[in-house]
Amino acid sequence: MNNDASLITIFVGMVIINNMVLTKFLGLCPFFGVSKKLSNAISMGVAVTFVMLLAAIATSVIYNFILLPYDIEFMNIIIYILVIASLVQIVELIIRRTNIALYNSLGIYLPLITTNCAVLGITLINASNSYSIVQSMVSAVGGGLGFTLVLIIMSGIRERLELGDTPKSLRGLPVAFVTASLLALSFMGFSGLL
Amino acid sequence: MTQQEKPNTNSRRFTKEILKGLVIANPVFVLVLGLCPTLAVTISIDNALGMSAGVIFVLLGSNLIISMLRRITPQLVRIPVYIVVIATFVTILSLVFEAYLPPLYESLGIYLALIVVNCIILGRAEAFASKNTILLSIADAIGIGIGFALSLIIVSFFREILGTGKLTVFGKTLFSIPVLSSDPLAFFIMPPGAFLVLGLLLALFRWLGVLKNE
Amino acid sequence: MNGNNEKRENTKLDEKLQDHGQKIKNGISPGERISRSRLYPLVFLTIIVLVSVSLVMVISNVTKARILAEKDAAIISQLKAVFTETDDYESKNDYYIAYTDKQVIGFAFIATGKGYGGEISIFVGLNTDFTIKDIKILSNTETPGLGTRITEDAFTVQFKGLSSQDISLAKDGGKIDAITGATISSKAVTDAVRKELEEKIEIIKSDMK
Repeated sequence: MNNDASLITIFVGMVIINNMVLTKFLGLCPFFGVSKKLSNAISMGVAVTFVMLLAAIATSVIYNFILLPYDIEFMNIIIYILVIASLVQIVELIIRRTNIALYNSLGIYLPLITTNCAVLGITLINASNSYSIVQSMVSAVGGGLGFTLVLIIMSGIRERLELGDTPKSLRGLPVAFVTASLLALSFMGFSGLL
Repeated sequence: MTQQEKPNTNSRRFTKEILKGLVIANPVFVLVLGLCPTLAVTISIDNALGMSAGVIFVLLGSNLIISMLRRITPQLVRIPVYIVVIATFVTILSLVFEAYLPPLYESLGIYLALIVVNCIILGRAEAFASKNTILLSIADAIGIGIGFALSLIIVSFFREILGTGKLTVFGKTLFSIPVLSSDPLAFFIMPPGAFLVLGLLLALFRWLGVLKNE
Repeated sequence: MNGNNEKRENTKLDEKLQDHGQKIKNGISPGERISRSRLYPLVFLTIIVLVSVSLVMVISNVTKARILAEKDAAIISQLKAVFTETDDYESKNDYYIAYTDKQVIGFAFIATGKGYGGEISIFVGLNTDFTIKDIKILSNTETPGLGTRITEDAFTVQFKGLSSQDISLAKDGGKIDAITGATISSKAVTDAVRKELEEKIEIIKSDMK
């Protein structure tokens, strides 16, 4: 049973209408941790998008050619997370060898991409929507871009918030959540787009 | 330490570990971990309870096994080992829910499988279970698990009451608020409401002095 | 002060060297040899993976029957909700045939559409003349209070008796009135039912030849 949603629908849906962070609540930990500086936000976003794309391809192939035909879909959790963990290790190695500055600026958040709900989340979403391999790729890129977009917006807002006069209890995380709430509210306006 | 003193301190440590997870190290409000399921699942108390039960099960299982294996697990592969152990328990949980609690399985959706990347579980494995005895690891799992359950229940309490006007547990409506139930504030059931409730609760806890400032 | 610390460190080092020397003399115990070999981490991980996979396979087998039974029970209850008189059904590749007293009284299939919040799953019952008998929304993640109103009878009752050319929103020339404020959800259901219906009619017709 293949899903015949068009690629544009999937892409726009993932980036804006069903934004990973603001509607599906995926990828929150780095969202609140990293998003204070704009440059960090962009590096993080790109890194996550890249891993999501690779993971989506690998898991989609495994799902469509191994799990489904042999009726072992329940193995998806273990296999997906192992694939993601390995991919993150490989990407970490590559970044360390080619761009040490990037490696240092991402710091501990790079291995933490393994536990990023967004990466595993996108692979599970692809499977539950029965996307083909190409659809999964588009979905992953869309999801990653949506994540990056929100990360960038949040970092911009938080940079300003730091300078503002927030009540003591709300300072830091709580006001970030309230900001996210307003952001999510505004994104809901996109729902009539498609 | 004399023989008589030892059992006392052991059981006291056990209780201390359990209590730690409830307040001082409450996973959601203090450590701010495990956010993804907290926001997604708290649209109803039923979902919150189901998810809590699942997380407690996986936490207990993984803490137990990882603590048992802590002396023979090589440092190099410890993270993949933890991940495989946790993923196994989550898969078992998923299968059991699918077979015996289908409606819960449907409403939790992908967030059931996402328990495997719940920072709480991997965090406890790395920070505690890999360095402590089996008994203490079990206590830690119980404490953190119940702490997580409490935070889910608190958040979903507010969201369900404000968002639907009534509180329904296992199909029985506990109570409903007259004006709200006919015209509920659907905002709270939706994503923005989730962020807002959690943010305000975090601020509340901080104000009560439970947390230390960042 | 520093002199004392250095002396302490030297004695510690000496102890360690002595220790090591003794071990080389006595030979490393087999347990230690295994845990120090380069392959041990990999072997350990592989064993863990094998044990985990086997455990999961066992649980899967244990629960498989129950899971299938649950899915089956869900289908039967759906069929009965739409065809109240049915006493038997047959499951084909893409659709179901409902029987009463061994007579075909209708067909059923599940249509899925992409709504505002995600996938909407619709159970569609067909009369033998391929008009809709009834539809039921199986699952959805639409906006509570707005899109979720597609599950209400007021919306689904509009589909009864319609043939595929009438199944579209009124604003598109069909006979379905969308729910106010939930056009996307309404359209998703309508389009999904119509598209799937057209496909299934072809399949059923070719099967009956």
